Amino acid sequence: MADTNVKPRPLPKPTPATQAFWDGAKKGKLMLQWDPTAKKYQFWPRANSVTTGKRNLEWKATSGKGELYSFTITHVPTPGFEARAPYVIGMIELDEGVRIIANLINIEIDEVQIGMRMKVAWEKLSDDITYFAFEPDTRAKSKPKN
Amino acid sequence: MAKSFLADKDICIVAYGETKIERRGGRSAYEIAAEVAEQLYKKTRLGPSDIDGVTFTVPISECSNPFWSGYATEYLGISAKWLQTSDIGGASAIGNVARAAMAIKSGMCETAMILGVDAPSTQWRAYYGSYRNEFWDPVGVQGPPGAFGLLMNRYEHQYGIDFRGLGALAVAQRNGAIKNPNAYEKLRHKITIDDYINSRQVSSPLRLLDSVMWADGGNGLVMMKTSRAKKLGLTNRVYPLSYAEISNFDCANQTPDITTTGHSIVGPKVLRDAKMKAKDVDMFHPYDDFLFAVMLKTEQCGFAKKGQGSQFLRDTDLGPKGTLPINTGGGQISCGQPGLAGGGINLVEAVRQLMGEGKGRQVPDARNAMVTGIGVIPYGRNWGSANAMILVN
Repeated sequence: MADTNVKPRPLPKPTPATQAFWDGAKKGKLMLQWDPTAKKYQFWPRANSVTTGKRNLEWKATSGKGELYSFTITHVPTPGFEARAPYVIGMIELDEGVRIIANLINIEIDEVQIGMRMKVAWEKLSDDITYFAFEPDTRAKSKPKN
Repeated sequence: MAKSFLADKDICIVAYGETKIERRGGRSAYEIAAEVAEQLYKKTRLGPSDIDGVTFTVPISECSNPFWSGYATEYLGISAKWLQTSDIGGASAIGNVARAAMAIKSGMCETAMILGVDAPSTQWRAYYGSYRNEFWDPVGVQGPPGAFGLLMNRYEHQYGIDFRGLGALAVAQRNGAIKNPNAYEKLRHKITIDDYINSRQVSSPLRLLDSVMWADGGNGLVMMKTSRAKKLGLTNRVYPLSYAEISNFDCANQTPDITTTGHSIVGPKVLRDAKMKAKDVDMFHPYDDFLFAVMLKTEQCGFAKKGQGSQFLRDTDLGPKGTLPINTGGGQISCGQPGLAGGGINLVEAVRQLMGEGKGRQVPDARNAMVTGIGVIPYGRNWGSANAMILVN
């Protein structure tokens, strides 16, 4: 990167509670925390169940598939995203019953529609961090349920 | 139903203060506090030694100081029996009125100063922790505008938005700022609905003129028991009559309908506790980080039907002489948002109106006001803290 005005995209700093998420990401697996008492998934990763308060969450690899709940087109980029603007940020409702906010990639802006099927994709940001994004799941039949 | 702890009108507001809003003014929150406090002393004929309780909104510009309340009151020369800095963001202003009322009623203090002072356009010191570093900043979400872009798009998908209704609100608030000498000077010019529609997209469908602008400024109130105010000859009094607050509404639900906010709980509650209906409200002073937040609150506080907020704004006269005056001084969107002191813009305007000091923008015969607050943008929802208060004169 010769242009010194270009800031790097911020890199997450994993903590003990989130490390498994990033370890999974490095292998192309979207890991979610499963609450064995409430019998449901939760996102974003943290040390406790938001339902019971217990610290008994388990990590499970998930399908990485879901449906677009909402999106916004970012015209004013945040640091590290200057070269991408305008870019699409989506809120995806995963089939596991949680929502995740991510970049939508491999899609034209005017093709983005709430309710479309999406699947996880990965962007390698550094040797340690592979970051999640989502792209259209072209093999799925879109069936908006919302 | 339990009676509101404010129902007896035994606690009152006796004065308000407010600085002009500036951008990168160079003054610190301490210096801004000094100006607000001096205004309050003049109006009440009190001095620093008469104030024994102070509550602040945490300022972005000073939030790296874990001892803010102590430093700020030392700066002002106030020896206090009760100090509290609240960190529920834009909900702190009316939140602090309720907290000060509790402190006075419990006897912890007698004369409380409620201060919101901040200078984030001069210095920004916020760091958030939690999910931000891993799951928000690396995604490139454009902060609150990004979160509101997601919220608005979902709402539009479910109900539709008439953007000319949001434009009508933008124009009404701007007309208020033109008549408000404390508004940021560069915002005190007319705009049209088309200006709003044509303003550039920031995080679509959210536009530039949907949004507040960070600025510096401060505001404050003095509160005490009504009996004491009478003894001191402080005759222009405003009373908080009901109050409700909720933070992290529906938070364990992993797939909530994000178009429903905590105001669907607190709005109806403060009306019930004040024995009022929405149609009895003389004026509405909703916290306005974005026009869309005001729109959603017109629905959830009972003025408009669910899904009809934008049509309601389009078809209602929102000016000071209209059927529902909204943010008559311009709100934060047209005054500038003095950081986390922003909630005080809406609150102080309501108090000013109820004291009959609205001058060229006075709401005729204003007897009551509903004021709301919003604090914190959570992950993938709407807003973190929601509160509402009914004030009467």
